[in-house]
Amino acid sequence: MAVTLRVVIADDAVLLREGLVRLLEENGHRIVAAVGDGPSLVDAAVTERPDLSIVDVRMPPSHTDEGLRAAVEVRSRIPGSPVLVLSQYVELSYADDLLADRMGGVGYLLKDRVAKVDDFLDTLVAVAGGATVLDPEVVAQLMVHRRSQEPLRSLTKREQKVLALMAEGCSNASIARRLVVSESAVEKHVSNIFMKLELYPHEEQHRRVLAVLAHLRGA
Amino acid sequence: MDGGWIRRLMADTRYVVTGWPLALVSFTVAFFGLLFGIGAVVVVGIPIFISSLYALRSFAERERRRIEAVLGVRIPRPVYKEPPPDAGALRRLLNPMTDPMSWIDLLHGSVMVWPASLTFLVVGLWWLNAIFGSLYWAYGWLGPTSMNQTLLNVGLGLLCLLTLPLVARGCAQSQARLSRLILSGVAELQERIFGLEAERTTLVAQRDSAVSAEAVALRRLERDIHDGPQQRLVRLALDLGRAEKLFEADPQAARRAVAEALTQTEETLGELRALSRGIAPPILTDRGLVAAVGAIAGRCTVPVALDATDLSGRPEPTTEQAAYFVVTEALANVAKHSRATGCSVTLRRSGESLLATVTDDGVGGAHLAKGHGLAGLSDRARAAGGTLTVHSPPGGPTTITAELPWQ
Repeated sequence: MAVTLRVVIADDAVLLREGLVRLLEENGHRIVAAVGDGPSLVDAAVTERPDLSIVDVRMPPSHTDEGLRAAVEVRSRIPGSPVLVLSQYVELSYADDLLADRMGGVGYLLKDRVAKVDDFLDTLVAVAGGATVLDPEVVAQLMVHRRSQEPLRSLTKREQKVLALMAEGCSNASIARRLVVSESAVEKHVSNIFMKLELYPHEEQHRRVLAVLAHLRGA
Repeated sequence: MDGGWIRRLMADTRYVVTGWPLALVSFTVAFFGLLFGIGAVVVVGIPIFISSLYALRSFAERERRRIEAVLGVRIPRPVYKEPPPDAGALRRLLNPMTDPMSWIDLLHGSVMVWPASLTFLVVGLWWLNAIFGSLYWAYGWLGPTSMNQTLLNVGLGLLCLLTLPLVARGCAQSQARLSRLILSGVAELQERIFGLEAERTTLVAQRDSAVSAEAVALRRLERDIHDGPQQRLVRLALDLGRAEKLFEADPQAARRAVAEALTQTEETLGELRALSRGIAPPILTDRGLVAAVGAIAGRCTVPVALDATDLSGRPEPTTEQAAYFVVTEALANVAKHSRATGCSVTLRRSGESLLATVTDDGVGGAHLAKGHGLAGLSDRARAAGGTLTVHSPPGGPTTITAELPWQ
């Protein structure tokens, strides 16, 4: 995989920022800016027009959801500019803020996910390419909400797993890899799910994620 | 006998003797006030009635002072109702009528005249008898008299003279007690309730302080965990992930990543240790306040002189904790803001209190205003049932004293 991304990193924890810089550089990406607060992120994103911004939610000066607000700001200035938001905790409502513009190119992950280096690197490329990727924990929060609901119960265990992975933003190929089944088997599950939930199948990855999320949310 | 009984007797007599005309005037005012209030035309009657209420209020006030003098106790002053701030003229005029205290004054004015007359009569007769009886021999011969008559009169007179202090005391006391019951029974009850309420307010304030101190401490703990160990563990995971990926392609780089991960682990452990020390320092629970404060004093960047020679035994754990945190925070402030070259910490027991004092020779100007670290300290002290005082004129020196309940 020889994709080289131009990346902006925003995290006030120097330790982690350096770790990310090193990891990305070792894997052939180029860091165009590494900053430590929200306003600097917006500036860097506007001037550098990176392929991807990696943003920590909690940054100075407010130490609350500064990074998230900066990410939303970046996307309002440069529509669709890919943003991967990392956080120590994931919350559904934060994900909502990011997904609100329905443009794709959004990732929202627990910081812990950086340890699975290969998956993490894949995610970077996917988000930069316009995919929507949500942390399994966010999806789990949604699933808990809706587990008791009728249509979801009509899904088999396997189909529920596939649905969760779809919500996280996995392609059929990566679902197949994770569940150790053939891609055609996954396709069959997916079409079953769409039928049972009366969802309209989308070609585009991020539209598919949004549709699944919308359903899980009961919209 | 030091003549105190004479003073006593005169005071009792004065109370009873002046009490009667006062009661008579009060009664007259009450009677006519009520008469006009009920009977006469509203336009004239009500204002007259209300002025009589005001007059009775001043009589009652005077009576309370008199009771205090004769009974030697403090009588609580009742709280007369103020008209509401937005009240109109009529409402203001009628205000006394809405106050139960006014009606109690009226009651007092109307009834006290009867017992006051009785005591006046008794005390008056006793005095007259005592004087004129015991002096009968001096003037009795002026008229036709017999020896027997003289003896009888003088005997009665002496008896009255001897019992006079007792009788005066008894009359004054019963009259004053009755008067007190009417005038301040309600007020005394009121005062007790206010006392309870004040106590409750203090408790509520104490609880609020505890809650806010705890909330602040928790928020800070969360921040400390987030900024410290959590970040380090993420970095650790990242380094290990990198190492795993690098092992085959670049073993040298992988080794470096593992070495970095090891450093991260050590530093995480160090940070966790510091954090747990901040939550509940083991040395405080194990060895007590003096040892724990000694330990932080040793770590402080400004030289600290610790004096705890007067401290024997250990106070309540909550007090120890509060004192520890006050001293810790105060020392942190000294190191950060004061530009002091030296500071002293004193721990001592004063009666039922633990006094923890931190003094530095820095620039001063510290205060308890919200948003400063010291406000948190004050909350902390209050939560433990104590108080925090800060004396810090510009130019220094700064003295912070926490007074905490020992038990």
